[in-house]
Amino acid sequence: MTTEVLLLSSILKIVFVLVVTVGAFAPVLIWAERRQSAMIQDRLGPSRAAIVLPPSAVAFIDKARLPMWRGFALTGIVAIVALVAVTWVAVRGTNPLPIPTATLTKALIGFGAASVLLRIGYGVHGMIVRNQGKVMVLGLLHPLADALKFIFKEDFVPPKSDKFLFAAGPIIALIPAIAAFAVIPFASTLHLDHWNQVLPRTGEVAGTIIPMQVASLDVGILFIFAVASTGIIGAAISGYASDNKFSLLGGIRAASQMVSYEVVLGLTLVPAFMVYRSLRLEDMAMWQHEHSWGIFNPLLALGFIMFFTAAIAETKRVPFDLPEGESELVGGYLTEYSGMKFGMFFMGEFVEVVALGAIAAILFFGAWDVPFLYRDGFDFRLPFMASGIVVPLAHWIVIAIQVLFFLLKIVVFIWFQLMIRWSLPRFRYDQLMKLCWKGLLPLSLLNILLMGVFILSGVLDKYVGLLDRL
Amino acid sequence: MTGAGATLFVVTAIFAIIGALITVAARRPLRAAMGLLVHIVSLAGMFLTLNAHLLAALQLLVYAGAIVVLFVFVIMLIGPEAETGPIEGRLVSRSTAGALTLAVFLVVATSVGGFDAAWIAVDADFGTVEGLGLAIYRNALVPFELISITLLVAIIGAIAIARSPTE
Repeated sequence: MTTEVLLLSSILKIVFVLVVTVGAFAPVLIWAERRQSAMIQDRLGPSRAAIVLPPSAVAFIDKARLPMWRGFALTGIVAIVALVAVTWVAVRGTNPLPIPTATLTKALIGFGAASVLLRIGYGVHGMIVRNQGKVMVLGLLHPLADALKFIFKEDFVPPKSDKFLFAAGPIIALIPAIAAFAVIPFASTLHLDHWNQVLPRTGEVAGTIIPMQVASLDVGILFIFAVASTGIIGAAISGYASDNKFSLLGGIRAASQMVSYEVVLGLTLVPAFMVYRSLRLEDMAMWQHEHSWGIFNPLLALGFIMFFTAAIAETKRVPFDLPEGESELVGGYLTEYSGMKFGMFFMGEFVEVVALGAIAAILFFGAWDVPFLYRDGFDFRLPFMASGIVVPLAHWIVIAIQVLFFLLKIVVFIWFQLMIRWSLPRFRYDQLMKLCWKGLLPLSLLNILLMGVFILSGVLDKYVGLLDRL
Repeated sequence: MTGAGATLFVVTAIFAIIGALITVAARRPLRAAMGLLVHIVSLAGMFLTLNAHLLAALQLLVYAGAIVVLFVFVIMLIGPEAETGPIEGRLVSRSTAGALTLAVFLVVATSVGGFDAAWIAVDADFGTVEGLGLAIYRNALVPFELISITLLVAIIGAIAIARSPTE
């Protein structure tokens, strides 16, 4: 592999990770959480942010609606005619028209898509006109408005505080959360020289191979824990540097809670390492692609439930949000922060939510693995079927489907975390610590022991073999 | 050492020295702890130049994630009276400390300067998780377990001393 390809692909991957996490997931998450809380409490919520268009533009949009409607109708009629013709050909097997069938199919897809797009455009234009020129994308402009507010808000620094540490706190909290994405694989390896071909299902493929993750480290998931552990210091020193008793208490709570739950977070994943026999995340994904998803193993399912509990505690979210519990500590270690520094804490929290969702997806739900999707395309085959329905796909389409499915899995976990956020009341502090040290910790140690017994007695191999045959 | 490795070493070495100086010289304890954090992270970077990825990760996990957090925790619990302490010490003790530091520095510098042993090629699994695991559990199992038990005894002892017998 040439150095230029390596460098360019690395830069592209880093940009992709940043765009997906910081650029897309975190702002949308902030919006989704506020929107959800508004719905539960029967408020309007963040749906009013808008870009206001000038009246002349509104008049123009109003004029453009009629041609769009006509275009929709015309293309729609053509598409329906093409659909009838294609159906005729498919049913009768003969083509009485002078136009070839391939052209008919292309016309059906092309005119159908154009029709749908014109109808959507007509609806959107109508909405803009009805709102007197305000463009509101479901309130998705709110993150943008929030960002602008964060940047231009007064950046208050408590006068007697340690100003350097006060500024360093949010940075130390945010950077590890983003750095964790360096080892997360978004898809299986990309064979650059064969990107437009259908690859064989198994076996080695010659040519340039690009792993779909920023860094392929031998320590793998330990890297995530290593950088995440430095994030604790961010919350702790910002609580101390704020020169505020509430902040200090919040910082102490945050530090002890995160240190405690980090132990559990690591131990709950150990049975998964024992099954996959690797710490590399790409190897874990590959194992699950070849065998079965980790969640189908009962011990790993138990590990997943404990991991998810510990993960929510580690991100300091409800019901474990004691470091910032507003009824006791005003805002905890966030009390004195405003403007972009507060925004960085917020961002860090949501990036961490995405990162933990990604880890859960990789370790227990097959990472980029899609059911019935292999390297050469789809093969829908069930145990009782003699032969599967094979849909060969080009390599880049397979990779794109894998990336999309992986992001979808992350979205599911995020949705689950948001649902928990508004469903459960806050724990008491001693309950939180009891859950960690007397509940989850012994249980995860027992889980490791049981998994060791299963592996050494050969039960696990038999179970995996049984799942493989299905 | 290759070009990239040498660059990484120089950068991490500079940061390690800066971090160590901050740790020693900072008046505020929390800033000293942050200096220690910088030092530890640069040490982890230096382990990377030696192809010891696992050791670098564990350095971050244990020292940055646990030890520094513990220091920060203790400083936070003690509170603001720990902010600034007068630097005590007489001329004799200060000059003795300075002379000792100089002596250690000279010994290390001469021994590194006089180093002429041949470079040894390492195995492919050197520094990997698998390599270290095999080394510990095949070649040094008894010492490893003894260390574990010593640590356990120390933890139990600390709890026994810290909690009063009436409880």
